[in-house]
Amino acid sequence: MEGLAAVALAIALAGLGFWNLIVRRNLIWKLLGLNVAASGAILFLVALAHRPGARPPIVGLGPGPSADPLPHALVLTAIVIDFATLALALVYVIFLTEHRHTQDVERLERDEERGWPQP
Amino acid sequence: MAAALSGVLAYLGLGVLGLIGAPRTFSLLALLGGTVSFALWTPGFPEVLVGGLPWGVALAGDPWAVGLWALALVLHATLLIHARARRDAFHPLTTVLIGTCLAGSLSRDLFNLYVLMDLSSLLALVLIASGRRVRAVWAGLQYLVLTEVGLTLYLFGLGLVYARLGTLSVSALAGQGPNLSDPALAAGVGLLLAGTAVKTGVFLLGLWLPQAHGQAPTEVSVLLSGIVVKIGVVALARLSEAFPVGTVLLLLGIVTGFGGLLYALWERDLKVFLGFHTVSQLGYMLMGLGLGAGTGALLYVVAHGLFKGLLFLAAGEAVERVGRREITSLAGQLSLPVAVGLGVGACAIAGLPPLAGFAAKGLLAQGAPAWAKALFYALGLGTAASFSKLIPLFRPKEGGLVGGLPVLAAAVLGLGLGGTVLVSGLLNLRAWGEAFLIVAAGYGTYLGLRRIHPRLPRWGFDWAVVSLLVGAVGVAGLVTLGWL
Amino acid sequence: MRVLAALSLLVLMGLLALGVSGVFPRPALPPMDEVAAEWGAKNVVAAIVLGVRLWDTLFEILVYAMTMVGVKLGLRLLRWEHAIPPIRETPLLRRSADLLLGPIVVFALYVAVSGHLGPGGGFPAGAILGTALLLLALAKGVERLSAEIHEPSLEWAEYGAIVAILAVAGGLLLVGRRGSGYLIAANVLIALEVGIGAWVVLHRFASSRGEV
Repeated sequence: MEGLAAVALAIALAGLGFWNLIVRRNLIWKLLGLNVAASGAILFLVALAHRPGARPPIVGLGPGPSADPLPHALVLTAIVIDFATLALALVYVIFLTEHRHTQDVERLERDEERGWPQP
Repeated sequence: MAAALSGVLAYLGLGVLGLIGAPRTFSLLALLGGTVSFALWTPGFPEVLVGGLPWGVALAGDPWAVGLWALALVLHATLLIHARARRDAFHPLTTVLIGTCLAGSLSRDLFNLYVLMDLSSLLALVLIASGRRVRAVWAGLQYLVLTEVGLTLYLFGLGLVYARLGTLSVSALAGQGPNLSDPALAAGVGLLLAGTAVKTGVFLLGLWLPQAHGQAPTEVSVLLSGIVVKIGVVALARLSEAFPVGTVLLLLGIVTGFGGLLYALWERDLKVFLGFHTVSQLGYMLMGLGLGAGTGALLYVVAHGLFKGLLFLAAGEAVERVGRREITSLAGQLSLPVAVGLGVGACAIAGLPPLAGFAAKGLLAQGAPAWAKALFYALGLGTAASFSKLIPLFRPKEGGLVGGLPVLAAAVLGLGLGGTVLVSGLLNLRAWGEAFLIVAAGYGTYLGLRRIHPRLPRWGFDWAVVSLLVGAVGVAGLVTLGWL
Repeated sequence: MRVLAALSLLVLMGLLALGVSGVFPRPALPPMDEVAAEWGAKNVVAAIVLGVRLWDTLFEILVYAMTMVGVKLGLRLLRWEHAIPPIRETPLLRRSADLLLGPIVVFALYVAVSGHLGPGGGFPAGAILGTALLLLALAKGVERLSAEIHEPSLEWAEYGAIVAILAVAGGLLLVGRRGSGYLIAANVLIALEVGIGAWVVLHRFASSRGEV
């Protein structure tokens, strides 16, 4: 049962994250939204690895069946990837802020159409 | 197997060592090591589980791996010759990126493909932004965010498929005979397809592609269009092997081919124009995969990597030398080698014999039913029409820097000649006549369309994300409903 | 646009829910205790990350390392027009840094070395190591600290750790030897790489900005 609750939370996180990615105008908000959605995907994998009454996938840690260890291992990789994406994207947001004095997507797009005039 | 693994490891390790010092030397060493490893493991090896049972990563040296390794090594050699003067981290990052692509072509594991697609897009962003221009950084940032949205969807799909079938290896999945009337599998496969399509740059899902490829520095554009996009195509090929999704790929291919073409017809910026053509050429590869013509799609992937690399190399040289990007303002400004390179590339992409595009298009059309053949011809006609725009560029001014252009031009010609001879039914007058007829008709279409200037919708950042989500949900929904 | 976005997100969430409803019955799990024993680990996840799916983990390490390279290159492009005023030093921070530094480093080592027996491993250990360096930088000031650390040799160590991991892993994949000694070595190398990477970026950020 707790597994299903976590799955529901993961799906909700994905919806929330993508929604913020679309409606926010500030780039940093957008990136945070993306990261929340990616966390949703991670939680989704972990929650699906759960079996009713399962123990952590460590040998000798209590009786009963173990949770599926493979998604846990995959998630480690996925976490590093999400972190890496966020770090790299934020550096380039700083770059844009330095050069264009804005983090507003609509203003950046307007500048793009006009061929990037001097701010 | 050991040879291929050590080749990839040599690429990665030597690339990282190049970050400390002597980047070109280490890049050259990596190329040599990769070539030796390639020579050792061709013509291929059967599937192995690296790491052993039960969860090891499946790798195989199948035809896709052979084709992509050859393509990557040729492109790497070209860039080594061409980008002699590039300093900072260009050479090490390129080496690691090519190593990633080599590993991706070997991979037959869904999660391994996810990691490699992600690593390649991170490296591509760093390389795109190394041009230090605001528009390149902005295009690169959109590229990263959109790809990441796609890969998040991919991860969701992967979770569902793994939870249902308990394996990630393509062959093991195919061995279970997956049935898409199972809702978990259908939703999972739909999301996997949608995520990979975003990374590949399929029309309406991956709208980042033309700007990112167009705004990147010259050598980086070559790399992006030549090999990075192809990782996505390989992933789609693996998916089509594991699951019965031919119809979806066919549909995506048709939309991509004609969507990209529509935008390319009226694009004025030379490099963005080539980026839109990468989108439209993806249509051929996806349609080939959808029709089950794997060999044709593979030949197209390799041929496209070579001639689009040549086109981007020549176009980048021209744009950097003249300092203008519009096609009309470049007329009569090109140096002789650049004009020749651009000409050879344009003839190849338009499908003129005996260049690489002709052999690939011929092989694709051979197994196809009549309606698909008609679609291929229509795409070829449109391609010829939009490339007719470049005719004023072929009036060179004087000689100039040659760089890596001859390597790619020779490769395009060599693959074309080899393909024309080896593919049966291409050495007759009818096929050649058809090819020339299509190009001539394309030129006629261009003359007719020249006066029309429609206003096509431009896609901002938010719209790109929304169209991505709508497209992804559409693909996944269609698979789930079982309409395909 | 918002309507379209909301609709597509709702359908996406519905699809995911539909998919989850269809994952039962679940496939049986392979015998994982034997895999763990084969690799000399108790933590099955560690055996998978560093052993069975080492091929993935190599690229994961590269993702981290290449991001650090990208962050360094990106920060080099910046001009930082608006300087921020430096934070005044407080004795509290210095004293607590003196007290905490040792335990944090020891804990990082413990997490790295025992990663194959329980929760832990190279990545968290590296992150903890990075935290220790951050604390040190806050207490002593980045300039003084970087004067004490030889920057080029640190980069050597960072890239050297990656190459060492690649070499060890490659040898392991090709030869096929396994055991707990290898798992510990791999975890320590990863911790080193992650910690140094974190420090290099922190230092670059602080020195281009003037302060932490």
